[in-house]
Amino acid sequence: MMNKAYILENGIIELYLLGELGAQEELALERLLAKDDDLKVHFKSIESNFEAMALDNAIAPPKIVKAHVLNSIRSTNNVMPLPTAPPLKRYLGIVASIAAILIVGSIWMYSQLNETKQQLKIAKDTNDLLLKDIIDLQENLKSATTWLDVLNSPNTKQYILKGNTLSPSARVVSYVNHEYKKVIINTVDLPKLDEAHDYQMWADVDGEMIDMGVINKNSQLVAMNYIEDAASLNITIEPSGGSDHPTVSRLITNIYL
Amino acid sequence: MRDNKALIYNLKNKDEAALSQLYDAYAPAIYGVILRICKDEQEAQNLLQDTFLTIWDKSHQYNPDKGRFYTWAYRIAKNKTLNFLRSKKTLIQTEDLSVYKDREDTVITDTKYLQLKGCLKQLEPHHQKALELVYFNGLTHREAHKEMNVPLGTFKSYIKQALKKLKLNYDKALVWLSILIEVIR
Repeated sequence: MMNKAYILENGIIELYLLGELGAQEELALERLLAKDDDLKVHFKSIESNFEAMALDNAIAPPKIVKAHVLNSIRSTNNVMPLPTAPPLKRYLGIVASIAAILIVGSIWMYSQLNETKQQLKIAKDTNDLLLKDIIDLQENLKSATTWLDVLNSPNTKQYILKGNTLSPSARVVSYVNHEYKKVIINTVDLPKLDEAHDYQMWADVDGEMIDMGVINKNSQLVAMNYIEDAASLNITIEPSGGSDHPTVSRLITNIYL
Repeated sequence: MRDNKALIYNLKNKDEAALSQLYDAYAPAIYGVILRICKDEQEAQNLLQDTFLTIWDKSHQYNPDKGRFYTWAYRIAKNKTLNFLRSKKTLIQTEDLSVYKDREDTVITDTKYLQLKGCLKQLEPHHQKALELVYFNGLTHREAHKEMNVPLGTFKSYIKQALKKLKLNYDKALVWLSILIEVIR
């Protein structure tokens, strides 16, 4: 039976402080101590003597031990907040952020792509135009060169067609080259016609008028169809686009070769 | 003595600074106990570290109404040290000595280092020895009385008388201290 006399007699307080009592005895002593002030004073006296004795016999541990202790609690403190934040939510947040960045990035890139496509189309169109121009220019150059060859050739014959009474101011210079089989005319002094009419050139072969083509209104030098064995060159005024047979009444000039 | 309610309160609220201050105040006393029980500096340091980590983790279990902070810490340290020695003994019994080979150089052979100081020195040798065995060597009363080769009852009375003398000595020291304080004033 645990009572004050038993406790003092058997050194129960000492055993308690040394941790030698069983759980049940400890509980009984604690209960008595809470009730008995005298016993409590005795307990406190022994307890403080034990502590004083330990402090008297203290041995300083190496400083590194304290550093280890503080580092350990810091690392566990740092780790502890992790589980409190729900990881799933955190990951979802990260995923959502990445998705948002990707979407915004995709939209931006898509608009950039469209803009680039448009620019590319403009560049391509310009390029096509330039290419066409080059082809035209090359063609022009080619024909100009051919014409120049024809005009410069010593075999080229020059004929001047003068206008008759129907068109007295008309004057057409024609260059005929039998070697190249080319006919080129200079229309700079041919009076302008209205929209409904064109000049057309004819070659007289054995009394028959063969079409050499409608004279282009827009250029000075015009190449006409070369006709073999032509006896004369003739120019008539025909309805716009030309006719199959010449309107002899509107012949404005002719020359015999 | 150095118990401080505010410090304990802060410790329970996981304040690092509180643990640091309590360490400074009590680690040497506790290290003195651990080292005298296990007599191996390396192991004693590990056990001291372990003790303070337990103090940090289990601070909510400490109830200041039941006793002083030091008493609680002493009991943790003593239990850890005795458990360690018990597990070491089992290892040695199973002849796995390799674990301890590299420890040999930290084992204390010069016992002067561990000799007791303070008021304890003024006690009669057998009283001193009795307290040393139970307090600093971690022996139970039953183990200690066999060690001293006296009956258990006699051993218990040694402890009781030793504590009484100790109290007288500490009280005397307190008186001297209070006189000193008076003089300084």
